[in-house]
Order: sequence, then structure tokens, then C-alpha cells
Amino acid sequence: MNTVLEINNLTKKYGRITAVNNLSLSIERGSVFGILGPNGSGKTTTLGILLDVINKTSGEFSWFGQPPTKEVRKRIGAILETPIFYPYLNAVKNLEIVAEIKGVPKSNIDISLQKVDLFERRFDNFKTYSLGMRQRLSIASALLCDPEVMILDEPTNGLDPQGIAEIRGLIQQIAKDGKTIILASHLLDEVQKVCSHFCVLKRGKLLHVGTVDEVTKGAELVEVMANNPALLEQALQQFKGVKNISKEEDKFIVTLSEGQSAADLNQFLFDQKLVATHLLTQRKSLEKQFLEVLAQSDHA
Amino acid sequence: MLKLLKIDLQKLANYRAFWVLNIMYGVLIISIPVVVLEFMKWLKEKGADFNNFDPMKIPVLHFPDIWQNITYVYTFLKIFLAIVVIISISNEFSYKTIRQNIIDGFSRMDFIKSKMSTILLLSLGSALLVFITGLLTGLIYTPDLEMGNVFDGSEFVLAYFLDLFCYLTLAFLLTVLLKRSALTVFMLLLFSPIERTIAAFFPANLKFITEYFPIHAINNLIAFPLSRYWFQEIQDYVSLSAVGVVLIYIVIFVYAIYYKLKSSDL
Ligand SMILES: Nc1ncnc2c1ncn2[C@@H]1O[C@H](COP(=O)(O)OP(=O)(O)OP(=O)(O)O)[C@@H](O)[C@H]1O
Ligand SMILES: [Mg+2]
Repeated sequence: MNTVLEINNLTKKYGRITAVNNLSLSIERGSVFGILGPNGSGKTTTLGILLDVINKTSGEFSWFGQPPTKEVRKRIGAILETPIFYPYLNAVKNLEIVAEIKGVPKSNIDISLQKVDLFERRFDNFKTYSLGMRQRLSIASALLCDPEVMILDEPTNGLDPQGIAEIRGLIQQIAKDGKTIILASHLLDEVQKVCSHFCVLKRGKLLHVGTVDEVTKGAELVEVMANNPALLEQALQQFKGVKNISKEEDKFIVTLSEGQSAADLNQFLFDQKLVATHLLTQRKSLEKQFLEVLAQSDHA
Repeated sequence: MLKLLKIDLQKLANYRAFWVLNIMYGVLIISIPVVVLEFMKWLKEKGADFNNFDPMKIPVLHFPDIWQNITYVYTFLKIFLAIVVIISISNEFSYKTIRQNIIDGFSRMDFIKSKMSTILLLSLGSALLVFITGLLTGLIYTPDLEMGNVFDGSEFVLAYFLDLFCYLTLAFLLTVLLKRSALTVFMLLLFSPIERTIAAFFPANLKFITEYFPIHAINNLIAFPLSRYWFQEIQDYVSLSAVGVVLIYIVIFVYAIYYKLKSSDL
């Protein structure tokens, strides 16, 4: 049983707007699945349907091969959009309610709070928390039941850079324990760093689904500069491992063929008695792929 | 069910308005008989002219009259408890915590059961308080106390319980429909005037239908008792048909709450 979530032809209509349009998707156990899409593309709506707070218009989905029920939701740790808690209760009291609903022992509360670094402030009322602390508390709440699946909708929204890095580390750590994570985000960099798989939604339609590796691996792009651009250009044209060369002023952008690296290119130039003054490997980014997918859909 | 009650009480235990309103309600229940007696004593001392009649002899707070009299008066206080219920439920919508409860593993029915068990507890608790207050007041002030008469008419405490339970369930329904607390309290207060206005447009041969309007039906449980002291006929029993109608209303209200929650996005 390796499929955690199976979605078939899921559709949600709000009057004339189709927020989720005939979406089919399946998510494997242990994957960290990123859901990308511009604002209003249906990410939150999709997750809301999966968590039974939004009624679907049509379609089906199943968790762990079972029809969705409240028992299934008790095995999922989820936050949707913004942290939601009783403002007049402190962190511990809030998590006690969650623990009671999920039927997990109260002893999990302190552990969760320590994981997100909120233990010191645990007796302060939720309404006195900063946005970042609220985000952390919602992650603590999602961790409370030691979930098999975590659903995080923009978990780093409003966090400082250190907070973002910490949450990212936390997600990676949770993923290492073999948990399945579903992460909706605008931060492509974040998805690239933590996700194994991703999909792209636009106006509720699925535009792309695949692994992050297949996008970021593959042919490398290298920027090269030397004191004598003319000589450099000659030399580059002779290099066997080159697929394509483009020029931006004095800078050459070289697409290497499969299996070649920037080190090979550097060695070659050195053998040609040329010294590069600038040599930079451009990582192929998810961002590019994302923008390409969206641009293609505009032409279609 | 107890677990669901416990969860709802955890939400309320640290909420100040919950305690303030409950305590105000409790204090009013206990103090009304005291105030009435003090008032009658005061009338007596002032030598009010009742044709030499001692106002303390009017059996307002004597067994068995006391049960219907106090429960009738107390039904005017139920708005305090209705406000408790309305705040507790509208908070869940304004904080969106109902959404998180469901994400965490409640079903919509669990949410309803959890709130209904608090409503049940409030109704039972205040019926108990009314019972004890009535019993003590009656024991203290009934001059020719015969133990056999003490519980005559105490079925009005049960009627009071049903009255409260149905009214609070209606408050629950209105909150689910209107979401905002101030608006809901306002609508609940307007409910009876609106009913009466609508009833005024009914032709005489259909007037009997207006008896079954929700607030009217609830009020039929405990008939106005005080007119017996100016020698008018009153209904001094709890009519079973009134009980039946109220029970049906409770079922309808709960079903309407369920239907509304089921069909809406949270
Ligand atoms: N309650 C609602 N009523 C009407 N339309 C809605 C409602 N909720 C969402 N929508 C619409 O559904 C579409 C998808 O919204 P959704 O919140 O799922 O987007 P999202 O991908 O999460 O966006 P963001 O990145 O901004 O969080 C939008 O066009 C939005 O306007
Ligand atoms: Mg969203």
C-alpha cells in the first residue's frame, strides 16, 4: 500500500469560478510533494476539500486507500492558510483541545512545543504571539499526533529568514522519518530545496506533475569570462562537451552536454592556456521550469 | 459524548464572558424569591391597604403555587444563557476554529454534539438550581407545611428545563445561520415580536396555527400563573401536547443545524 492519496477528477465550482478543475493526482508514501501555482490557482481549495472543510462539486479522493472519514483525518497533521487557535487560550490549552480531538496523549504537547521552539512561551495566550510564533504553533499542532501525512499550506508565510530556514530544516527532518508531506507554496526555492515531487496548478487545472530531480538535474549551464573574449570564444567552440554557446556582452553562457561539468570545461581552457576570470555553474531552477510551464499554458 | 462535552468545556473554561453571564444568571435565580419576599414584607410594614389583608398571606411563594410562579418568571432570564451559547458558537466561526476542529478530526456531527452537550449541561444545571431554590424558598415560607404537597407542581421544573433546552437550541441554529453574535442576539430577541406580527395577519379560522410558532410553542409549556391571584382561571398543569410540540421543534432545529453545516464550506 504505497499510495497515500489518490485524487480522481476532483472539481469545485464557486458559481462561475471553477476553483479546482478536474484534478487527478496521486501521492506516494514518503514523498515530499510540492503544490505550486499562482495566487488563486486552487491550492488551498484543493487541500480544503481533502480535509473535508470544503464540499467538492464532483470527483473522488481517497486517503490510504480508504474513503475519507474523520478517523483518517486524525492521522493527518494539517494547517490551512493561517494559524487557527482560540486567541484567549495559551499554547498548551490550545494543543490540549487538539490532542483531545485527535485522541493522542497530552504528553506529546511539550515535545511538539520544544520542536518548534515555543516551549518557553507555552503559557502565554495565543493572541499575544507574533505571526512567526503563530506559524510555529500551527506546525507544533500538526506534529502533535505524530502524523503519517502532513499538509502544510504556506508554512513559512510571515517568518523571518532564520525562521524560514528552521522550518525548512524541520520539514526535511520530518521527511527523513519517512513521513509524507504535502506542501503548498509560492516559494519555488523552498519547494526545490525540500520537495521530491511537485505539481503546478493554474486556474484549478493541473499543468505539470513530476519529480524535482528531473527538472534540476540534466544539462548544466556555465557562465565563463576571460580577459580575451575572442580567444575564449575560439576555445569554447573547440570544446567537445559543448552543446550551445550564447553570448551576453563579454560573458559566454555555455550549455554543456550530458556528463560534462564545469570542472571539465575549466581543465580544457587551462590546457588551451586560457585562464577564466569568471566561472559559474547556473543551477537549473524550478523557477525557470515553473515559469515555462505557465508560459506554455498561456500560448495553448 | 462526555469527551465531546469535555472538549467544549475546555474551550469555555478560560473565557471570561462565559463565567460572567453564568454567574449573573445564577445570582438572579437565587435573588428573585428573596427580593419578592423583601418587597412583600416592605408592603406589610408600610401598612399598604389591602383591606387588612396581610400580603405575606398571598401564596405566591408557597407550595404548590411556587413551582409554576418561579419557573414562569425565570423563563425571562433565559436570554443570559442564550447569549452564552451564541457567543460560544459565533466565536467558533469568527476565529474559524470550527474549521480547524474539523481538520483535526471532528465530524460536523461531533461539533454539533459537543455544543449540544454544553447546552444540555446548562439547561440541566439551571433546572437543578431552580429546583433547589424553589424547594428551599417553599420550605421556608409555606406556613402550613405538609410534606405531601411539596412536590406538587414540581413538574414545572421539568417544563422549565425543556423550555430552556429548546430555546438554547434555537439560539444555536440562529448563530449557525447568522454567524455574528450581536446580530444573532438581536434576532433572537426579535423572534417573538416577529411571530406575533405574522400571527396578526392570520385569519381567525387559521389562528390555531400560530400556537405552533416556535417561541409561542415554547411559551405554552409554562402558562402565565399570576392571574390566579385575581381570581382568573389558569392552566396550572404542563400540557403533554405542549411538551410534544417542543420535542419536535428540538429535533427540527438540530436537523436544520446539521443540514446547514453539512452543506456549507467552512
Ligand atoms: N469562498 C469562496 N467563494 C468564492 N470563490 C472562492 C472562495 N474561495 C476561493 N474562491 C476562489 O477559488 C479560486 C482558488 O482559490 P484558492 O484559495 O484555492 O487559491 P490558492 O491557490 O490557495 O491561492 P493563494 O496562493 O493566493 O493562497 C480563486 O479564484 C478564489 O477566488
Ligand atoms: Mg492559498
